[in-house]
Amino acid sequence: MLEFKSVKKSFETKTVLDGISFKTEVGEILFILGTSGTGKSVLLKLIVGLLNVSAGEIWLDEEKISDLKEEDLFPVRKKCGMVFQHPALFDSETVFGNLSYGIRPHLSGLSSGEIKKKVLENLEVVGLTEDLLEKKPSQLSYGMQKRVSLARTLCLQPEMLLFDEPTTGLDPVTTEAVNQLILNASRKYGSTSLVVSHDMKSALKVADRILVLDQGKIIELATPKEIVSSRVPLVQDFLSEVLND
Amino acid sequence: MISAVTGFLEKFGEGLLFTARILKLCLAGKVSYEGLFDQIWKVFKESLPTTMVAGFFVGAIMTVQFSLQIAPFGALGYLGGLATSATIREVGPLLIAFLLSGKIGAFTAAELGTMKVTEQIDAIRCLGSDPLTEVIAPRFMGIIVASLFLLVFGLILSVAGGLLMGALFSGINAQEYLRHIPTLISSLSVFTGLIKCLCFSFVIASVCTYLGHQTTGGARGVGQSVIHTAVFSMVSIVVADWLSSFILDSLLRSAGLL
Repeated sequence: MLEFKSVKKSFETKTVLDGISFKTEVGEILFILGTSGTGKSVLLKLIVGLLNVSAGEIWLDEEKISDLKEEDLFPVRKKCGMVFQHPALFDSETVFGNLSYGIRPHLSGLSSGEIKKKVLENLEVVGLTEDLLEKKPSQLSYGMQKRVSLARTLCLQPEMLLFDEPTTGLDPVTTEAVNQLILNASRKYGSTSLVVSHDMKSALKVADRILVLDQGKIIELATPKEIVSSRVPLVQDFLSEVLND
Repeated sequence: MISAVTGFLEKFGEGLLFTARILKLCLAGKVSYEGLFDQIWKVFKESLPTTMVAGFFVGAIMTVQFSLQIAPFGALGYLGGLATSATIREVGPLLIAFLLSGKIGAFTAAELGTMKVTEQIDAIRCLGSDPLTEVIAPRFMGIIVASLFLLVFGLILSVAGGLLMGALFSGINAQEYLRHIPTLISSLSVFTGLIKCLCFSFVIASVCTYLGHQTTGGARGVGQSVIHTAVFSMVSIVVADWLSSFILDSLLRSAGLL
């Protein structure tokens, strides 16, 4: 279980997150919505220690993780698999090299046969086939790269999945496929998922709860059913986009 | 003005600390060796033709210039010694290092900068590895080793360039050209040249890895890192040249070798 306790994050004079507190339930899919620059991606990066909190605490499974040193963060990063906004695949590696990067023998203790098996399993979860293994990321479409990126994270078998704008820049069909992947991955591994997004339509379809951020503060945290009848102006703005569609 | 100076000093200090961290990793043997050999080969292979051409013409230019200066005194017999001495001790390492900073330095800064802004560096951290060990240190060491070889190779080619130009421009045959090289170049001169090559390789590696790793702000940020790398490398090479000359000269004098 993940818990934020009055977390603040500032960059020089600009406060991006201002006293955020929330808890996740085990196995839930929590969408984090908000306009650009409201600190959604920062929130995810704080969890995996890519950024440090300015004040407050973050707890993961009864362990305070907000003040861990870089060398102690690996177990946290293994528990919380991050899928980045960009596919963030390594250009010089093949698809196999990318997928196996986090489970190389010296990191995971797995044999090369076990690594290959795990890679193929997760490639299948994201709907891709074995013939892509020797291709370089530049030979794949953007949608495929996003899937490979998700499969790479799944190889770590994380207890929690953190998605940073997974559907940004994708067409409606691929968006739908990615939403389905989030659901599949979450249900298959029983992982808790935090999904940062602008996409209310996806949130209403996939999320168990939706958290809305505005100017560094939580302005709404509710189930999709409750969100639909929310009176908060920003939430209504997001909803009106869905209704217009 | 004051804030610009303090900002520069702050960056300079950060750069020194960053380089110290990488050096510590390299000395502790925590470098991905596979990545290191890949880098050495990649840098060497990609920059060899450019370095050969540059080295050859640096030697040729120095020979022409010295020929014009000493011909009126009838001292063309010393042409090979003088041109080679100046090339190996000073001009050769400097010009070839400028060239390498533009090629290897800018390429590495762009590569690391792109990895940074497309979150590949963050992805490495999230996959349980240290980007300094996996990506930065192999490039840092790879550039130092490959640049050192390239500089030495360029200097050898500069002698060939001088030799050819001596024959074509001044009518000095190869035997005559080479005769006074040992007179004017001692093993100490070669040693001084090699130390300078090592310093310049170190400067190129430090500047490009640090500025590449500090990149922020998308494609524009990558472009800025490349420009800053080219400018700072060249300025740093000139400063390193002066500093290494000064220190080496003082050390050799105090040891009674000069």
